[in-house]
Amino acid sequence: MISVPVILSVMFLGGVLAWLANRFVPKGASWTAAIIAAFAGYLVFALPSCGGEYSLALGSITLVWKSTNYSALFAMLVAVLGFLGILYSMDFMAGKKNLGYYYMNFLFALGAMLGIVYSQDLVSLFFFWEVMTWSSFMLVIYSGEEKSHKAGIKYFAYSAIGAYLILSAIVILYAQSNSFLLSENIKMFSGMSLGTQIMVISFLALGFGVKSAMMPLHVWAPEAYKESPSGFTAVFSGALSKMGIFGLGLVIFKFAANTEIFGYVRETLAWLGGLTAMLATFYAVIQSDAKKLLAYSSIGQLGYIIVGLALGTPLGIMAALFLTIMHGAFKAMLFMTAGAVYMRTGTTSLNDVSGLITKMPLTFLTALFGIISVSGIPPLGGFISKWMLYQALLETNHYFLIIVIFIASTAAFLYLYRFIFSFFLGQKEKEVEHVKEVPWSMLVPMMFLTLFVLFAGLFPGVILDPIGKAMGYLGNFKASWEPQVVFSAWGEKINMQVIAGTIGTIFILGALFIGYKNKKATRVVSTKDIHTAGEIPTENENLTYAVNFNQPFERAIAPILKWSVDKLFNLLGENLESTFEYLRYVYTGNGQTYAMYVILMVVILILFSGSIFGIHL
Amino acid sequence: MEVSYDKESRKIVQAIERFARKHSLWVLAYGTGCGAIEVPPTMTSRYDAERFGIRGAATPRQADVLLITGYLSVKTLKRVIRTYEQMQDPKYVIGFGSCTINGGMYWDSYNTIKLLDMYIPVDVYINGCMPRPEAVISGFIELQKVIAEGKAEGARKYKENLDWYRANQQKIIHNWNMPDYNW
Amino acid sequence: MDSSTWIKILGYIITPITAFVVGVTYGGIVRVITARVQNRFGPPITQNFWDIIKLYSKKTAVHHGLMQHWGPIFAITASVTSLFFIPVLKDSPLWLNNSFNGDIIFLLYMMVFGSLGMALGAGQTGNPNSAIGVARGLALMVGYEVPFVLALVAIMIQFKTTSIAELMAVQDGFSNWLIFQSPFAFIAAILAFLGMMHYAPFDVTFAPAEIASGPASEFGGKYLALMQTSGSIFTFAKLVLFTDIFLGGAGDLVTLIVKTFLLYMIPVLTGIVNPRYRTEQAITFFWKWPTVFGIIAILIVVL
Repeated sequence: MISVPVILSVMFLGGVLAWLANRFVPKGASWTAAIIAAFAGYLVFALPSCGGEYSLALGSITLVWKSTNYSALFAMLVAVLGFLGILYSMDFMAGKKNLGYYYMNFLFALGAMLGIVYSQDLVSLFFFWEVMTWSSFMLVIYSGEEKSHKAGIKYFAYSAIGAYLILSAIVILYAQSNSFLLSENIKMFSGMSLGTQIMVISFLALGFGVKSAMMPLHVWAPEAYKESPSGFTAVFSGALSKMGIFGLGLVIFKFAANTEIFGYVRETLAWLGGLTAMLATFYAVIQSDAKKLLAYSSIGQLGYIIVGLALGTPLGIMAALFLTIMHGAFKAMLFMTAGAVYMRTGTTSLNDVSGLITKMPLTFLTALFGIISVSGIPPLGGFISKWMLYQALLETNHYFLIIVIFIASTAAFLYLYRFIFSFFLGQKEKEVEHVKEVPWSMLVPMMFLTLFVLFAGLFPGVILDPIGKAMGYLGNFKASWEPQVVFSAWGEKINMQVIAGTIGTIFILGALFIGYKNKKATRVVSTKDIHTAGEIPTENENLTYAVNFNQPFERAIAPILKWSVDKLFNLLGENLESTFEYLRYVYTGNGQTYAMYVILMVVILILFSGSIFGIHL
Repeated sequence: MEVSYDKESRKIVQAIERFARKHSLWVLAYGTGCGAIEVPPTMTSRYDAERFGIRGAATPRQADVLLITGYLSVKTLKRVIRTYEQMQDPKYVIGFGSCTINGGMYWDSYNTIKLLDMYIPVDVYINGCMPRPEAVISGFIELQKVIAEGKAEGARKYKENLDWYRANQQKIIHNWNMPDYNW
Repeated sequence: MDSSTWIKILGYIITPITAFVVGVTYGGIVRVITARVQNRFGPPITQNFWDIIKLYSKKTAVHHGLMQHWGPIFAITASVTSLFFIPVLKDSPLWLNNSFNGDIIFLLYMMVFGSLGMALGAGQTGNPNSAIGVARGLALMVGYEVPFVLALVAIMIQFKTTSIAELMAVQDGFSNWLIFQSPFAFIAAILAFLGMMHYAPFDVTFAPAEIASGPASEFGGKYLALMQTSGSIFTFAKLVLFTDIFLGGAGDLVTLIVKTFLLYMIPVLTGIVNPRYRTEQAITFFWKWPTVFGIIAILIVVL
């Protein structure tokens, strides 16, 4: 009988096993981890999507783990991406040090994510949340360099703040309901006082918002994504950040839905999500490092997802959950591409490499499908989520939010094109002459996801099926679709197969025509053979225009970019530092002063006893 | 295209192609010498060469006609050859001014070429120093006549006699570092 | 197969051909008008046909790799697919009407498909001018999409539909044309249209004298021919789209041609007499007045 503890123990024991395997067998860790992840993935899919309940009483606390339709969706995403990430890591990490450490933390993170989605009580939710943060922190600092430590500390500080907010929310909930069970708390939440509701919702939303990198809390993400090894970054961005979305979904539809402030919560989150999408896209445009670019892109895409969730209409939620899956796929593809380029050339800087298309054609194909999907161009999977999101925004009369989203979506072309252009197109360089295509274990995950986004574009219904069930868990939401057709509340529908058929037919006709016409007289020439007013570029001259590629756009948005949240936090940090300088004078080292503090504290407590912020604890 | 038309339809297609080529000449004006100053008046309001379908092209890939406006120093010749080789078949060359025919006033210069036809196949010469825009247009009309007759076969000539052209070019250009002619 | 299927298939063939012929003829007319404004006689109206036929009849072709080889196909796929989903004429069995409810959002994205494909093709050539042109073009696109989408959103929420066919049905009389019903949306959209057509002052992308025709600089022969074919079809498709949305569509071909021609003259005549904006100037231009008009259009609908 498959149940949740089996899956979790497979993951966690597997992590330890991988660590042990690395001690005794060379290459043992990667194979062990791959087998464990595959087995756990099989178990996740074999687990009935609604059931597998298991409870464990620890004194007065009861831990409950169960698979719901909602958690099954996220568990599948984690299982698939986790397996692909480990498969990718097999060759990507080959020859690196501390592989046991890497795979152990990788599997721990996957196990923790599965634990989060399967948790039905707040204690295990928090416990797994912390395990996830710790293990992913370990992977951020994996390289051991100065920069990665800095990124790791930033990531950890923000995650800790998020975790403490969640913890405080849990404590407040427990004080009111005297239970840690999720279902109990949800049931009793509508009966709590307004102050409690506001506090719990905002604490939880902020806590989960940190993980989903919502805009003022995103500061950790670019550095952390950049520093973690690419095999894990795919999972980090594709699945781990979705835990925040998982939590926000619960907060919005399970906690906030039955309160008076539901509308405000949704509007706030929707606008935060929209601004996140736009500003993160602008920042992505000006990045010159591929992984940082993708990190900002990831923040922006999570912004779309938050918008979709916060709209609260069936179509909006469907768009958000569909985008959750799609983003998992295409951002993993792009991070894997960046990792592949890093593996072969040793850099992720967009200014340093060019012309890899003939050297790494399959990697290029993955990147191409990835960017087409991210930008939402039909007929790939990304388009349907965009279409649903716009329809949902129109239905709910979010006139200006749709513009914000649209700017973000259009500006995304700028960075996506830069990503693919700088790495794969442009002039061939002498330095990349030796570059070969990446080995099969890295190609398989990339090609699998490429086929997946194509499939998702042609048959969205297959993916909408589990999403529809998950929506059933969140509330009484009914959205309609058929295998290839998606409908909106205005009665609009889109048939993907007609579109894909038209595009495919014309493309094939065009390709036949251009391939057949003058076939014998068509020549391929080198990228040095270009119009340069008769000059002949030498072998070592690289004329690719890659540095400051988006400068024209950068100049146009310069006034917006002047304000950076990162700078704001740094400023805050500096001011706090000077504040604490003064606070240091409190510690005089004199016993009598300390005694006076104690007395003062007692007096204050007596004065305010029983009522803090109007809430009776 | 290597399709077996019957004779009549091939004739018709050929006639249409020739007519189109004749009436659409995209010029890459290679401003090598003083003749470049005659090109703007030819193109603009006063003489308006666009009446005959003559238009400037931005790059050699798009161009049909290479216009060598005046004397060619050896250093420039290298660039001209490169540009000519980047153009697509069918392509035509117009030698503009006396300098391209016999060196003109630079006939005893140590570093200009005397006869352009030795290095790239020229279809039409426009003589004069300088030829006025009227002469330039008449040169283009001459080129159109040659195209209509199907005699503007410069590209084929170049391909067939490549060794001869290359020998001539290499004799005069000492630091030869050009890539092979491959199209 | 019954006759309606045959008529439909005929429509699939005849629509792109008509679009091509009309688009290329418009191109020729534009050249004549430009010439007249510059006090020249100008080429014959058929000039663009001869140009395209000549380009097709080039005997050789050169490309720098598969992406460049396929770039023009991306472009023509985008333009023909867009055309197939825009209703050309109202209630006509022959002229294609694949319009479905929700196609405006689809078209917004479909139109980018070609640009992205062309950009990839241009990128592969390794020509710095191409890449500069692409960077400018994409940045410009972010500029003009903002007022365009504002205008479309204003109209979509006014009539609670995202379908072109339904918008055409709304405009049944001359006074019901959306140009009169929501004039501010039209102003915003037409200003965005100036940028969309890449005529001056928004012609930084292809500026021939500056970056050697930008993305097209390494394309010759059949590739350039296919690009020009696609460009002509795309011009017509965009004109029909604007006619359908703002000018009530057309019931017969003559009306359609009159309306699209008048609409086309707006960017053309603006283009002839204007110098060129720099990219960031163009973007900030779109984000100022056109955006304000778009916001006014939405506010009018909401309030």
